[in-house]
Amino acid sequence: MRGPWHQFGDRSQRFALELLQSGAGVGVVISPRDLSWDNAKDYSQQYHGLNAQVLIDQQFYIPDFSNPRMESYPISHHRISISQLCQIPDAKLRDLSNQLRIINSELSTEGLIAPAVVYEAGRQDIFQLNERLFSASKLVGDDLGIPTFASVMLGQSITTSDHTIDVALSQITSLQSDGWYLGFQFEDERIPSSIDSVSRFCQVSLTLACTGNPVLHAYAGPLALLSFGAGVTGVCIGHFQNLWKFSPRRWQVRTSQQGGGGDAPPRFFSTNLWGTIIYPDELVQLPLSLINRIITPSPFSSSVTPSATVPWSRWEANKHLVYSICSTIDSITSSNDPRANANSAIQILDNAISLHDDIKNHEVYLADNTDAYQANWREALINLLSNNSSDYDYLDLIS
Amino acid sequence: MPYVIPISDAELLFPDYTFITALTPGEQKAAFHVKDADGRDLCLKIIAPDFSIDRLEREIIALQSLSHPNVVNLIEYTFSTKRGQPRHYIIEEFIEGTDLSDYLIAGQSLSEDRTLSIFIPLVEGLSALGRSRIVHRDLKPSNIRIRSDETPVIIDFGLARLLNLPDLTATAEGAAIGTPKYFAPEQFAGTKHDIDHRTDLFALGILLYMALVGNHPFFQTGMSYQDLHDAVCNSQDHLSVDEYIRLSPQWKLLIGRLLEKHRSRRPSSASQVAQILQKIRGDS
Repeated sequence: MRGPWHQFGDRSQRFALELLQSGAGVGVVISPRDLSWDNAKDYSQQYHGLNAQVLIDQQFYIPDFSNPRMESYPISHHRISISQLCQIPDAKLRDLSNQLRIINSELSTEGLIAPAVVYEAGRQDIFQLNERLFSASKLVGDDLGIPTFASVMLGQSITTSDHTIDVALSQITSLQSDGWYLGFQFEDERIPSSIDSVSRFCQVSLTLACTGNPVLHAYAGPLALLSFGAGVTGVCIGHFQNLWKFSPRRWQVRTSQQGGGGDAPPRFFSTNLWGTIIYPDELVQLPLSLINRIITPSPFSSSVTPSATVPWSRWEANKHLVYSICSTIDSITSSNDPRANANSAIQILDNAISLHDDIKNHEVYLADNTDAYQANWREALINLLSNNSSDYDYLDLIS
Repeated sequence: MPYVIPISDAELLFPDYTFITALTPGEQKAAFHVKDADGRDLCLKIIAPDFSIDRLEREIIALQSLSHPNVVNLIEYTFSTKRGQPRHYIIEEFIEGTDLSDYLIAGQSLSEDRTLSIFIPLVEGLSALGRSRIVHRDLKPSNIRIRSDETPVIIDFGLARLLNLPDLTATAEGAAIGTPKYFAPEQFAGTKHDIDHRTDLFALGILLYMALVGNHPFFQTGMSYQDLHDAVCNSQDHLSVDEYIRLSPQWKLLIGRLLEKHRSRRPSSASQVAQILQKIRGDS
């Protein structure tokens, strides 16, 4: 399970297929919110045909959220409110187990991601509920002979302090899981940038890794660069920005239409920037020497040229982004040593910081605050290596 | 409170057994070394009349679900009304030898080899408890018998908690039972949902520290309960002791993790500890 996974969002099934065909990614994480049950069955066969692994994230984070696609799954009648779910009798829990068995058997998943509600500080009822959901899932996973991953979706009431994290993790890690499917709610920004938050995320990952079980970083996005340095074994990457960090809002009923990208030009993800630049508008403002450093090609960027003024296809830009992240992750994970993985990421961030500085020296200021996080991520990793040295030693001891 | 019955009274109550000697009485249990009609050495425990039957049932369930050379073997549980009085008693295998207290002498440390030879099977016994979702909650030197061949055996499951069953106590008292000298921080805090298999791993860390360093990591003579509470929950002084510092990095890493205040930072299971001890021993 080591490596990059495709985290499904809206219209991801063919996208993932194409990426897998081009050699990017080791598997897919199917999202019932975005793919109907019939399509999930159909596409999972195609993914297996490409030797990709398949997982399904049941997405009980906001358990009474549903939509027509989710309703097509046999487990849908268990999508009820937290308070109702907390009262679920054993017979219904057995039925939920049976539905999990059907779904995971039909999709031939390589692991079972246990359904769980978003953890919130001080909510012992949620901890107990998730424990019951996990136990019901673990029976199925064991029966099917596949590992059961506990979903560890940490809400912001937990992720904002070390103390609440310690308390939550002490309880969560009592689950007899075979792996962890980790989501971490950050502040509401495009890409997490705060040193404190990113450091806390890294510490959570490392703590979970020290249990000796694999850690799958869900909704990782570009932050996946840091994950392996924090002991993670798999990262889940989607092309939409709302898949770049875990946010329960994805499973809340929208009261108004949210603005999309409109007709804005696509962004080019540069592995050297470890960020995006608007193509072609921002790129053409720079000298060729910088453009050549910024353009990091992929099989999906053949139409990108230093002098082009023709807009690029948004979907091609998305494929390029995911491909670029996957190939960097592949390169980082050629070593199994988390310390080495962290140092590789630091080196990439060093280059990105230097390239951003060079762009600023040409009086070009990129949109989206795309240089807001690299230096902080770098510092977070350096601090992690220094402050959590014994965790790395321990990982080495148990490996 | 130890429950004591004179051996002569016990002999009258259980004439089918030959009484060899009275053993150290446990928490509301009188204990005797006896022989049955076939000459087998056994341990007979007579339960105090006011002992919680629910708790006794837990102990029986815990022991019945286990069969491991490093965990005491339950042979029989009987309820009778001999001489008009209700009596509960259990028969366990008798473990000839001594207990771990005789090995953990203040100011004296054990060699690494001897420590490994005792603690690897002990941790394997704990792994068996973990697989059965049992938390012993009172792991201490006197609850670890050592056979004459130095094989350790975990005994006395009177305070065991079965994680698959609802806890018996709804109050804070439910967590804060056991022997404070070997309490984990969460036992002092007294929240029952914080007690799990890693609570026993903290006690194991204390025992391992005592074996290799020669002293208790937190307790000092004359300490009050509050002092002990503060030391266990907050102090890191035990990591600065010369004898500890002189240990190999692997030992320090293991003991340091076992004695972490937060359960999430302790080893995830006794099996993981066993794996580390085997690595320290040089197994492949």
